[in-house]
Amino acid sequence: MDGEHMHPEGTGLRGALETHEVELNLGPQHPATHGVYRALVRLDGERVVGMESIIGYLHRGIEKWCESRTWTQATPVFDRLDYVGAVLNCHGYVGAVEKLLNLEVPKKAQYIRVVLDELQRIANHLLWLGTHALDVGAQSMLFYGIREREAILDLFEAMLGQRLLPNAYPIGGVRFDFPKGWEAVCRRFLEEMPKKVDDYETLLTGNRIWVQRTKGVGVIAADQAIALSLSGPTLRGSGVNFDVRKALPYSSYPDFDFEVPLGQNGDVFDRYLCRVREMRQSLRIIRQALDGMPEGDLKGKVGRIIRPPMGEAYFTVEAAKGQLGYYIVSEGAEKPWRVHVRAPSFINLQGIETMCRGALIADVVAIIGSLDIVLGEVDR
Amino acid sequence: MTDEIKAPGPPVPPPQAAGGEAAPAEKPAAAKPATPPAPKPPAGPKKWEPTGDAVPNAPAEALAERFGESVRGAKSPCGESAVLVDKAALVPVLAFLRDDPRCGMNYLSDLTGAHYPINDKKFEVVYHLYSMEKGHSLRVKVQLDDGEPCPSATGVWPGADWMEREAHDMLGIVFEGHPGLKVILLPDDFEGHPLRKEFPLGGAQEEMIRANRYGKPVYLPDDVEEARKIVEEQRHGR
Repeated sequence: MDGEHMHPEGTGLRGALETHEVELNLGPQHPATHGVYRALVRLDGERVVGMESIIGYLHRGIEKWCESRTWTQATPVFDRLDYVGAVLNCHGYVGAVEKLLNLEVPKKAQYIRVVLDELQRIANHLLWLGTHALDVGAQSMLFYGIREREAILDLFEAMLGQRLLPNAYPIGGVRFDFPKGWEAVCRRFLEEMPKKVDDYETLLTGNRIWVQRTKGVGVIAADQAIALSLSGPTLRGSGVNFDVRKALPYSSYPDFDFEVPLGQNGDVFDRYLCRVREMRQSLRIIRQALDGMPEGDLKGKVGRIIRPPMGEAYFTVEAAKGQLGYYIVSEGAEKPWRVHVRAPSFINLQGIETMCRGALIADVVAIIGSLDIVLGEVDR
Repeated sequence: MTDEIKAPGPPVPPPQAAGGEAAPAEKPAAAKPATPPAPKPPAGPKKWEPTGDAVPNAPAEALAERFGESVRGAKSPCGESAVLVDKAALVPVLAFLRDDPRCGMNYLSDLTGAHYPINDKKFEVVYHLYSMEKGHSLRVKVQLDDGEPCPSATGVWPGADWMEREAHDMLGIVFEGHPGLKVILLPDDFEGHPLRKEFPLGGAQEEMIRANRYGKPVYLPDDVEEARKIVEEQRHGR
């Protein structure tokens, strides 16, 4: 039998054969969804023709919970949103309250915040890189990623007493200065880390299998990404230069010299490259912050009971996942009237339907990984 | 229970069912009020209104020029630019902000709502916009009555889709023209909108757990008043 007769169109069988679309349930307890995320995928053969995300399995009502706590008491709960990048969440919330209070944070506290923020960003990207590579099939990357992340968590433990959810900042500044010897350990980490990042790139960036699995997969164009309000490396992978640290500067970020890595094609590979390069930039920022560490107070002038003026404030930071925003409303009392979190994972997940349409079912897992979502933040 | 009658007599070992809590039998009426206090109006001002001054910026001025009366500057205590828009003009205003070269607000950063039971208009929907070209931000607010639908922004920014679904879940605001306004974060059979101020915190089920910590579990009826009655009975050892 020759090939022509094997082909349904050649034999005229396409009209005669009945085909129909299959609906496939991915999750909610699938290891590649990184949490309780469920996707209803409509398939034509192996091609995805439609996709619907079903979320909310981890909804804990954090926004409602805050309304019955004081402004200070509400701080630690935001660590539980994105539990892989807890320090950054904390910065967003205390920053919003400080904005509403018109509170000046001392320069030294700002620099310490920048150091911890960027360490947390690297830790987040390392865990993401390890698990994402594992999803795509590169198992060894996970061990390297966890190893280096462990060093950062040790630094957190030494300074803040906690590894994962350290409740890093009080409203108005920071709690502690660097403990004795901490800076030396941190500098040693900064020296070793660039070589480790080179190793990751040797493992993946030039790896033929990795490139074939990620290049041209899950493409989203720049204008689509902006219209869907994506942010963070997911947006920058499409070549859009939007980084909150540069665009809406906060803390002491204007003092530091760093670049915003951009992708070109908006595919899984470019989003990967953006994050890996961001790690190098974060190291640059930490080095500058440690070198230029000013002297001064650790905390601004803030009373024990906080009563922001009646009104509202919207404050955003560049979290590891994207633009993390807090919209807080005060009625002039010691409890918040309303706290809303603009969660980058939640909004980035909106893009997945556009990215997956037309992709192969095997690539869906790679695309979910490339968005870097944490379901604690998606569902809040 | 029979132990209430025996109470004035000589001390008897308390029966098992009371769990050692003999005191409530003596003062059933003087105990805590039977129903949790009704949501009391906030003690402070009569109306929620931001303090501070209105801070106009370029897009706010362009809006005032184009739409006149239907767009007003809104105050902010921390120097953020904000405008209050009439509901009828909302979608044209958002489209203008996106398309006009002076504004260029191409990025919808956030969309949410808030509930102000003390205000005349009880709900606010809040849009946070950003211009990637010009670098300016603007907050757009629209005020609604309870049950009044809000025009959907999904025609202007597709990214408003999930944010509007979330606001619908949490506050019960209906977005007219939304392509599929269904639950997103809450369970499918959830009743009520948790971020409304009248939504009970804790609720009867949690009260029950506190009152009956070591007893056997009791399944409460759906009706809140009925449930509260059972909880109170349980708490006072009947």
